Amino acid sequence: MNASLRRTLWISRVTFLEAVRQRFFAFLLVLGAAMVLSSVSLRVFDFGHGELKFIADFGFGGMFFFGSVLAVVMTAQLFFSEIDNKTALTLLAKPLSRAEFLLGKFFGAWAVLGVFLVVLAGLQGLVLWAREQELIAMAEQSGKIPATFSVLGLGQLVLMQWLRLGVVIAIVLAISALARTFLFAVVVGSLAVVAGQLQWIAQDAFLRPTDSQAYAAFLWVSTRLIPNLQQFNLADALVLGSAAVEEGALIAVGFSGLAYLVAYLTLGALIFRRREI
Amino acid sequence: MSAAISVRHLTKDFRIGLRGLKLRAVDDLSLEIPRGQVFGLLGPNGCGKSTTLKIVLGLVSATAGEISILGESYATSAARRRTGFLPEAPYFHKFLTGRELVRYCAQLSGVAAGDLDAAVEDALGLAAMSEAAARPIGTYSKGMLQRIGFAQAVVHDPELVILDEPTAGVDPVGSAAIGRMIDAMRTKGKTVVLCSHLLGQVEQICDRVAIMDRGKLVLEGAVEDVLARRDRHVLTVEAMTPAARAAAEAALEAHGAKLTSVTHPRRSLEDLFRELVTGSRDA
Ligand SMILES: Nc1ncnc2c1ncn2[C@@H]1O[C@H](COP(=O)(O)OP(=O)(O)OP(=O)(O)O)[C@@H](O)[C@H]1O
Ligand SMILES: [Mg+2]
Repeated sequence: MNASLRRTLWISRVTFLEAVRQRFFAFLLVLGAAMVLSSVSLRVFDFGHGELKFIADFGFGGMFFFGSVLAVVMTAQLFFSEIDNKTALTLLAKPLSRAEFLLGKFFGAWAVLGVFLVVLAGLQGLVLWAREQELIAMAEQSGKIPATFSVLGLGQLVLMQWLRLGVVIAIVLAISALARTFLFAVVVGSLAVVAGQLQWIAQDAFLRPTDSQAYAAFLWVSTRLIPNLQQFNLADALVLGSAAVEEGALIAVGFSGLAYLVAYLTLGALIFRRREI
Repeated sequence: MSAAISVRHLTKDFRIGLRGLKLRAVDDLSLEIPRGQVFGLLGPNGCGKSTTLKIVLGLVSATAGEISILGESYATSAARRRTGFLPEAPYFHKFLTGRELVRYCAQLSGVAAGDLDAAVEDALGLAAMSEAAARPIGTYSKGMLQRIGFAQAVVHDPELVILDEPTAGVDPVGSAAIGRMIDAMRTKGKTVVLCSHLLGQVEQICDRVAIMDRGKLVLEGAVEDVLARRDRHVLTVEAMTPAARAAAEAALEAHGAKLTSVTHPRRSLEDLFRELVTGSRDA
């Protein structure tokens, strides 16, 4: 294995260990799990598709929200704990490039969020499956056919959300490389996530004709600089097979996510190279 | 062979505050640190010692001037592979054990997988940290932190070891132990750069010293040369009597020499302390 890749992996390993030993991670994981499990108690009395969808929306909402919070706050924290505790001073005096350090942080944080998503999605899958069994049993009596929950769809949702959080981590790392303080990185990172979720509004506006050149330029820049984070929620529909999503659309979203991820990591590494430790 | 570190007309301005006020931390500093010696970098708090070392290691950029380290014109990864660094007031990932930290640092420093275990145990042994190595770093005392910091700095057997205040917060026994570790590095032919406020120790273990003040170099040279007062002599006499003293004075005067002071030699507080105390519990 390449030496540079190995160094990156060692950094990410320690980053991962640091993150999973934090109370903050455990706290958000418990909150997310509580939200997923509490969706069991949701009962919409149509005993069918509506009810499963309601459960799924509620649980995935928690996963989506707490995952975003974790991606922003934990990433900034993992970065600034090395800077503020001066452990970065020790590490960067070693034959380790700044890019390897930043990539190590990225993969460490991304792995933590992978664990977060898999645990919560696993729980959510159990909840959906259990309720589905109940509904099927009832359907046999009443003659209604319930929606079917798809494990493959759930897997695709996890992948898409993981990619979305990867883009968020890359953005927060680029901001952290520039920021002086943890608080600044968290505030600007959160704003970036909100902007990303709302980006499709700007994109919609862009498609409409406008007279103002400046406005058009602003829209052009903002729709390219800020990724459309909403598009990753495309896969949510697959879990209950409620809407048809074309394979091509998923692949396109995947590639655009990867492109943003690489672009923000590159930007972060360039900024971090010039930072004084 | 070129110097281990050379610094030419180095200047560093820090911008502070929103108005961009400048603080000159290092001011036109020129310095050569030869190989194979223990070099002491001294000076009062805030005179720019740590800043100079960070610039040499490429952690902070210079405003003006040039450096070279182990023959490279900046701290390339090849130069850093041959260098060990213990930062001031070191702090390490507190959830790792001492051994895990040293191993992590060895891996990052490019120690081959086959040599890893031996290198880690050697470094822990040299720093007298083998016993505490299985404990998480969060439970270490200040002196143990400095020693584990020393271990991570030398685990990859570097040619050049840069120690920024390795004795800060360490008791006299521990400081003496760190002094012996530095001596061991010199015996192996390594170059050691040492920042310290323990002038007594610096005097004992350094071959050369440089003194900085307000970012400028005020003195540099071999310890022997800068400390010896070649116009004065000290005689130590046993069983002195007033008559003997008068006779000696007269004899000296006959040759045009003059006795200017008679005192009792003192042992240092450090010597006394070390005579009385056996060692800290974690030493
Ligand atoms: N990141 C920074 N931003 C602004 N000023 C700084 C920064 N780092 C150091 N300084 C200033 O530069 C000067 C030199 O600091 P430096 O840490 O090099 O001193 P030092 O000689 O190592 O002192 P000490 O003996 O206390 O360790 C100080 O006045 C310090 O306040
Ligand atoms: Mg200092």
